[in-house]
Amino acid sequence: MFVQQLITGLSVGSIYALMAVGYSLIYSLLNFTNFAHSASVLIGAYAGYYYITLVVDNPITAALCSLVLGAILAALIERITYQPLLDKGARRIYLLIAGLGISIIGENLIVVLIDGRFHAYKTALSSMPVSIFGASIGVIDLIILLASAVALLLVQFLIQKTKVGLAIRGAAFDLTTASIMGINVRRLILIVFIIAGSLAGLSGVFLGIKYTAYPTMGNLTNKAFISAVVGGLGSLPGAVVGALILGVLETMISAYVSSAMRNLFAYALLIVILLIRPWGLMGKSMEDKA
Amino acid sequence: MLHVQKLSYAYKKIQALTDVSFELRDGEIMSIIGANGAGKSTLMKCIAGVLKTQENAVQLDGRPLARRPHQVVQHGVVLVPEGRWIFPGLSVEENLEIGAYVVGSSKQGKERAFTMFPKLKDRRRQRAGTLSGGEQQMLAIARGLMSDPKIIMLDEPSLGLAPLIVNDIFSIIQQINREGVSVLLVEQNARKALNVADRACVLEQGRIVKQGTGSELASDESIISAYLGGKK
Repeated sequence: MFVQQLITGLSVGSIYALMAVGYSLIYSLLNFTNFAHSASVLIGAYAGYYYITLVVDNPITAALCSLVLGAILAALIERITYQPLLDKGARRIYLLIAGLGISIIGENLIVVLIDGRFHAYKTALSSMPVSIFGASIGVIDLIILLASAVALLLVQFLIQKTKVGLAIRGAAFDLTTASIMGINVRRLILIVFIIAGSLAGLSGVFLGIKYTAYPTMGNLTNKAFISAVVGGLGSLPGAVVGALILGVLETMISAYVSSAMRNLFAYALLIVILLIRPWGLMGKSMEDKA
Repeated sequence: MLHVQKLSYAYKKIQALTDVSFELRDGEIMSIIGANGAGKSTLMKCIAGVLKTQENAVQLDGRPLARRPHQVVQHGVVLVPEGRWIFPGLSVEENLEIGAYVVGSSKQGKERAFTMFPKLKDRRRQRAGTLSGGEQQMLAIARGLMSDPKIIMLDEPSLGLAPLIVNDIFSIIQQINREGVSVLLVEQNARKALNVADRACVLEQGRIVKQGTGSELASDESIISAYLGGKK
């Protein structure tokens, strides 16, 4: 029972991590929280649903399809909304509000264009259990855990070992300084949105498989936001650690206390962290978090 | 090679630069001296593309210089900003690699930097934020040279450094210049800036009030009293 809950918790946590890393990446560069992130999650979840229903029941290719769409949507949002605001030198609070608007538009577009119902993925995998250490564990949880780990390690490699990653780490310190080193900051910001959007699209499929696809599922990005704050906004390892902690604790509370306590607990954790350690577990700065 | 013509810039309602014109010739050191707030750093930022000025105010080899910062670097003009602005969380070596962003490989540049600044070689794996002020300034200059520029603009390189280290910095500036890089130097330390300069100008309240060779300005009565502490 415990091992089973732990794996489920890690799998939920790894989905949070996919979204939280995106939040943190964008935050580290632009010092604002991209609430439009949920739009990429939504498109990922619905793309995955239709892919599996209409094309082929293959979660891997469905995930790739969602990843690409999530990335494209994030890139469009950046170019159409954020870039013009940044060019005008708008304060970060305006970007935040624009992002909130986009997330609401996304939700309503789904209701208008599709419907407001829950769409359960018709995949054979979701009910298939395997037995590990005597515990019965869902195959889908293992796939999610594994795929998320691969995606996060790839991002880690990109950030730590490539030229673009070096530019991102430099730009996280100061965008103007990065630009006078010859870095095209506008393009760099777009790249970061594409990375974040890919991860969000991927997380959308996984959320869809686990919980079905529905218009307000973008609210689950709140959990990722909590994860990122718990880990320390702007810190990528922090986002992953915060997400795994949140995923496991939430699952344990649902299993051993009450599932009604789940969200209450998550938001209480956010408030406690903000009270005792507002810079998070691994964050460094104490700047205003917008 | 670098022509600045009637460059003006205002921060909202405060006029920072008015009709600034000068020319940096190939292979020379040109110093711009002036008091705090005279507009020296603003001028550097305008040339570097960080601040937007009117089109064609800055020309390189007869053509308008690009107006976005990363393009200015691609065209061979690099700014070493006031206050150094090294990347404190990155290692010394990573700082240099970012400096080489517009050139394909950082290998040659790093060799040159480590020959010019042996101390940086010893500390290349160290986080740049842990370096002393003088070392950070050397890193900032080395990082600027990584893009293999034709022109390097140095904004207050001696700021906040001990006198002995200031001497080091100025001899490095001359060394860089001997290797064929033209230097545009902005300094409050007017005496030293005029000593190393082939030519110089004086900026007062956003206007250039005097231009001449370094030695001409160093012996000018009004400059001696205003910037060189009154004694010859």
